[in-house]
Amino acid sequence: MATLHGWRAARVTPLGELYTPPRITAAVLRLTVQIVLVASLWHGLYAHTGTTAGLTRDQAVTYAVLAVLASRLRELDQYAARDTVVQHLHYGTIVYWYLRPLPPHRYYALRALGEQLYGFAWALTGYVICLAAGVVEPPGSAAVTGVFALSLLLGQWVLYYVMLLIDQLCFWTLRNDAAIMILIFAQNLLSGVYAPLWFFPDWFLTLSAFLPFQATLSVPLSLYVGRIPLSDAGAQLALQAAWVVALSLVTRFLWRRAARRVVSQGG
Amino acid sequence: MIGSIEVRGLSRTFHTTVRRPGFTGALRSLVNPERAVKHAVSDITFDVSQGELLALLGPNGAGKSTTIKMLTGILTPTSGEARVAGVVPYRERERNARNIGAVFGQRTQLWWDLPVRESFAILRDIYEVPRAEHAARLREFDDILELSTFWDTRVRHLSLGQRVRCDLAAALLHDPMVVFLDEPTIGMDVVVKEQVREFLRHQVEERGRTVLLTTHDMTEVERLAERVVLINHGRLVLDGTLDEIRRRFGSTWQVRATLADPHTPVGPLPGIVLVRRDGPQVVFGPDGPAAPTVHTALKLVIERYEVTGVAVDEADLEDVMRAAYVHANAEAV
Repeated sequence: MATLHGWRAARVTPLGELYTPPRITAAVLRLTVQIVLVASLWHGLYAHTGTTAGLTRDQAVTYAVLAVLASRLRELDQYAARDTVVQHLHYGTIVYWYLRPLPPHRYYALRALGEQLYGFAWALTGYVICLAAGVVEPPGSAAVTGVFALSLLLGQWVLYYVMLLIDQLCFWTLRNDAAIMILIFAQNLLSGVYAPLWFFPDWFLTLSAFLPFQATLSVPLSLYVGRIPLSDAGAQLALQAAWVVALSLVTRFLWRRAARRVVSQGG
Repeated sequence: MIGSIEVRGLSRTFHTTVRRPGFTGALRSLVNPERAVKHAVSDITFDVSQGELLALLGPNGAGKSTTIKMLTGILTPTSGEARVAGVVPYRERERNARNIGAVFGQRTQLWWDLPVRESFAILRDIYEVPRAEHAARLREFDDILELSTFWDTRVRHLSLGQRVRCDLAAALLHDPMVVFLDEPTIGMDVVVKEQVREFLRHQVEERGRTVLLTTHDMTEVERLAERVVLINHGRLVLDGTLDEIRRRFGSTWQVRATLADPHTPVGPLPGIVLVRRDGPQVVFGPDGPAAPTVHTALKLVIERYEVTGVAVDEADLEDVMRAAYVHANAEAV
C-alpha cells in the first residue's frame, strides 16, 4: 500500500504556493478587499432597515464574510502550477498518474486534502482576525460551533466531489473551461456566496434543493448564523451526507471509466 | 526471469470515428458516424532479457508507443499477452508500477512549481523508498547527470536538457528493474545526449536494468543497443542484432574511383552497377541482393580498371534503417 507515506503527496499544492510568494501576496490582498467590500455592501443594504428576510444586519454581514472566507478553501491557482487534470490531459502527462503505485483517484484525493487544509489555514486566520475586529459574530453556542464544523466538513466534501466530477469530464471532452465557469457561477450563486439563498424566490429555492450546491456552503453558514435552528441540523447533516455518498459512487464509477480513456486522450 | 519482458502475440485495435470533410460531411458524421478500425499493433512477439537494452524502432505511427503503453499497463491489449518482470502489467497496474520506470519524451512527471528536489522527495514518498536509500541513489545519479547544479531550481525554470535528466532520475529513483524510454533525448543537444547515454549504459551494465528504448536517433541506437526490434504498420518486421540488420539492409555502399584514362569504357561488374560517371570520376554501387560486400567490390574495381584514386562510402546506421523502413513498407503494400 502506497498510502503509508503516499499521504505526503498532500503537500504538493501548498508547497507550490509557498514557493510562489506573489501568489500569497495576491491572496492576502484579494481576501482583504473582498471582505471589506462585502462587509460594506451588507452594512449599506441594512442602512435603513433592521431586519430583512428574517435576518439582522450582523447576521447578514457574518454570513457574507464567512462565505468569502470559506470560498478561499478551494481557490488555489492550480492552472498556474500546470497541475489541473485538463492540463495533464493536454500535455499527456496524465499517464504518469497511472504509472505510480499510488492510484490516480487516491493521489487526486490526497492532493485535494492538502489544498483544503492549506485553504483552511487561510480561512481560519481570516476568521480570527475578523472575529477580533468585530466584523463577524461568534457562534451562538458550543453546540452551534460543533454542528457548524461538522456541516462545513461535509460541505467541503460535497464540493470536492463536485469539482472532481468536472475534472473527470475532461477525460471525455478534453476541455472543461466552460464547465468550470458554469460551475463557479452555479456554486457561488446556488451555495449562497453571492447572497444568502433566502433572498431568492421560491422556484429558485426548489431548484436549488435538487442540486448539491447549497449543501456546500449555505447549510453550514446558515447553521452558524442561526438561520437554520439546531433542531433542524440533523436533517440537514443527513442530506449533506447523502450527497457525499451519492457523489462518491458516481465519481468512483467515472474513475474506472476514465482509466480506459487515458491513452486516447493524449497519453 | 525477474527483470525481463515477454511479449506474445500482442495486438491492439482502436475503433475511431471517421470525420467526413466539409460542413455537410461534419453534419453527416454527427447524425450517422462512420466507424473505422485501426490495428495499431498486430500480433507482436519478442523478448527482452534482464540487463539488456533493446531499441524498439519504427517510423512515426508504427505502433511503438502503443506497445510501450501496453507494457507499462496504461493500455489493455485486444489480444495476446505480456509479462514485465513476471507481472501482467495491465492486470496488476500497481504491482507493475513498482517494477518499472518510464520517461515519455518531453512529457515531464515533475511538479512544475516545485524545485526538482521536492519532486524527487514526493516520488520517494509515493514509492516508499527509505530516506537513506533515496539519498544514496540521488548521489549516484548526480555523479553522471550533474543534477545538483540545478536541483534546487523550480521545474518551470529548467532547460529541456536539465528537465529530461531530472525526469530520467525521477523514473529510476525507486530502483525499477525495467525501464521504458519513449524518445527520451528528443530535442536535446549533443552534450546532454551523450550524458544521458552514459547514464543509460551505466544503468544497464552496472545495475543490470532492462531497458526498452524507442528513438529516431540512430547514433543513440548504435551507441547503446546491441539488439533492435523494428515494427511498421503495427507488425514486427525484424528482430535481430545491429550486425544482422547491417548485413540485411546495409548494402548501400559506394565505391568512388578516379580512372587513369578518362576515356576508358566502364560497364557493370558482377553484382555491381555503375551509379554515375563524370569524366574520369566513376561511382559504383550494389546491384540487388546478390551484391558483394564493399571490400569485394573494391577489389573487383581495382582489378578491372586502372585507377589513380579510390574511396569507399559505407552506409551509416541511418541509411541502413532507411533501407529497412523502405523494405518494410514495400512488404506491407
